[in-house]
Amino acid sequence: MKKLVIATVVAVFAAVVFTALSVAAPWSGSARAKADAANKLPALPAEVRQRRRWKIGVKCDFPPFGYINRQNKIAGYDVDVARRFAELAFGRRNRVSLTCVTTPSRIPALQRGDVDIIISTLTWTSAREEVIDYSYPYYNATGRLLVPNNSPLVSARLTALRGRRVATTRGSIYDRYIGNCFAGASKVLTDSPVAALENLRSGRADAFMFDDTFLLGIAANDSNLRMTNHKFLNVPYGIGIRKGERAMKRWVDAAILQMKRKDEFWRILRLNSPRQFWRFFLNNVPRPRTREAYPRGRVPENECPR
Amino acid sequence: MWDSLVSRLPDWAEPVVDYIIHTGLKNTLIIAAISVVLSVLVGVVLGTLLTIKFLPLRGLIRLYIEVWRGLPIIVTIFLLYFALPSVADETHLSFIDLDPMRAAILGLALWGSAQIAEATRGAVQSIPREQHEAAEALGFGWVGRHVNVILPQASRRLLPPLVSLSVGVIQNSTLASIIGVPEVLETAQRSANRLAVPTVDPATLAIEGGDSHALEIYLFVFVLFFLISFPLTRLAAYLERRLAQ
Amino acid sequence: MDALAAFDWQYIWDHKAVLWGGAKVTFELAAIGIAGSFVLGLVLGAVRAYRIPVLSQLTAIYVELIRNTPILVQIFLIAYGLPKAAKALQFDFFTVACVSLILWGGAFNTENFRAGFEAVPVRYREAAYALGLGPIKTFLNVSLPIGGRIALPSSINTYISVFKNTALMVAISVEELTNVAKQSIDLDFRTWEMIWVLAVFYLTCVWTLSFLIRLLERHLALPEST
Repeated sequence: MKKLVIATVVAVFAAVVFTALSVAAPWSGSARAKADAANKLPALPAEVRQRRRWKIGVKCDFPPFGYINRQNKIAGYDVDVARRFAELAFGRRNRVSLTCVTTPSRIPALQRGDVDIIISTLTWTSAREEVIDYSYPYYNATGRLLVPNNSPLVSARLTALRGRRVATTRGSIYDRYIGNCFAGASKVLTDSPVAALENLRSGRADAFMFDDTFLLGIAANDSNLRMTNHKFLNVPYGIGIRKGERAMKRWVDAAILQMKRKDEFWRILRLNSPRQFWRFFLNNVPRPRTREAYPRGRVPENECPR
Repeated sequence: MWDSLVSRLPDWAEPVVDYIIHTGLKNTLIIAAISVVLSVLVGVVLGTLLTIKFLPLRGLIRLYIEVWRGLPIIVTIFLLYFALPSVADETHLSFIDLDPMRAAILGLALWGSAQIAEATRGAVQSIPREQHEAAEALGFGWVGRHVNVILPQASRRLLPPLVSLSVGVIQNSTLASIIGVPEVLETAQRSANRLAVPTVDPATLAIEGGDSHALEIYLFVFVLFFLISFPLTRLAAYLERRLAQ
Repeated sequence: MDALAAFDWQYIWDHKAVLWGGAKVTFELAAIGIAGSFVLGLVLGAVRAYRIPVLSQLTAIYVELIRNTPILVQIFLIAYGLPKAAKALQFDFFTVACVSLILWGGAFNTENFRAGFEAVPVRYREAAYALGLGPIKTFLNVSLPIGGRIALPSSINTYISVFKNTALMVAISVEELTNVAKQSIDLDFRTWEMIWVLAVFYLTCVWTLSFLIRLLERHLALPEST
């Protein structure tokens, strides 16, 4: 028994090391990373440079962007972006202290200076842009609806949500959208997406409105639930930066554009999402030839379907 | 014993139990321990001062007690965590800029110290007048009299409420999950969130997830808190009985 | 202090309808929770005090389970755990909130009333029996009025806690005041305004409640007996 345990531990350890190496491999060679940092990116903000380490806020309850994995380590798309930032800045993927933030706590954590930036599934909204700055977009989320298979919403127009009970997370862009656009719809709000999901499964909500990335994995695994064809609120995620920190914004934007040019976001997505979902996300990540922009000057959550 | 128990769990449960115990429980106990110590330090001092017949001082302490006892702890935590930082920005008092863990600890301590202050007042006033007079006759000043004579006697009466307070603080520490502190409930929720969505395990490249196992995880948390609190409430009841004799 | 100078009374005024709606839900929850925990505590307290077999042991288990676990975990279990155990145990969130408030308050109140009933001197009951009253009449005419008054101060604290616990429904989707205020904080970043509303609301209610109850307590207080 004991030998078996030791053998398993050794095997797992070897697997972890091997995978860590192979995960790192696409960008291997810290020399190249250093060259990148030195040649193309603007100077790091002084505080980060002197600390020789990033402090970045990520989600811990939002797979596959930021979550606690089986090894009880933080993992996900946002986390890999953060580690790549550490590599670009200091040549090492581990030069970053990750802090778990939640949807309601992430902007206070940034403003308070707990973290340098937040990479935490932060959808752009004009209200948020009044209190923080946004980087160049690094992910494109689309709002979708998850419903029970036999739901009349499957074949109805989106306006059929009026008078329905719609689950989503508190403070999200969907929270505003439902309130603004679907008179008579009642919001079933929770802090965590899983609680929202349970509300749909248990029938306390008629639909769960959320980011496609989250809903897709659930729909694929639960034969009682499906996504409708409605797509709405195609608004990108951005990295949150404290208001007016221009050196920070310059560096982060340059890093994102460089990663986009080298198609690194696509690679990061493939590492974090099961293969069968890849094709759905092709249009969600910035790629060398895509163009991303926030809907500035518009208020998407006020643009209601007719 | 523990290891063999854990190894008999279903595959999904092992990392969950591990995370809740090693990260969650550790933080819960840290939060509770620091809050209780702060509550006692502040509460005993305020409660003793409350027995002085100086109206403005008593009014101030009363206000402190009634405010922090009157507010739901979650509102206190929101105040400390969401509202104070903007004051910190304006006044450059960066020490009131609290991270989630400290905000939770301070929120619990404000509530706990109000409870302890009230209990201390009662305990100090229960000490017979003669004890004060005797101590005074021995040449003790106000501070010396209370530290050396009154409080040691009052502490016997303070013990049961102190143990009850510890139970209250441990249970209310779950409120910290609402601002994202990785205590027991938050680690449980993070685990359920991960399991709800299929993700790729970096070690094995296996795909896991699809069922949140929320029922099992919340039940585990429920049992865990019971196992910690039950002995403590028994202890409080025992101390209470011994005092009554 | 720009943060406070920027305090926007207009924002509170503009949202008075939503906030009042939240306050009404808080009052409803509190009323149901307090009434429920009074009845539950009274009945189960009597069961405990008079050691009614089986029921008394079951009540003891219920009381220990509730008193030794966080109410937030109880709320999650009732909201998300029970429906998985049996479909019939699924309630809407308002009901979940009421059930969890009553279960919690009821457990603490059981202990309050048990202590109250047990403090009624045996000779009073013996006197009632001697006068020919049956056990039910003895309970209603002797134990309840005296024991109930003895239990009053400690059960008051339970009711105030039940009122404050309504704020925890922010964790599930019940549109009570804390939840409504939290939405304003999350969506509009109106932190100070909403915290101010919450603090004033809860302190006013809790202080009024404890003041009224202290009056009642004085009114119901037992005459000094030796």
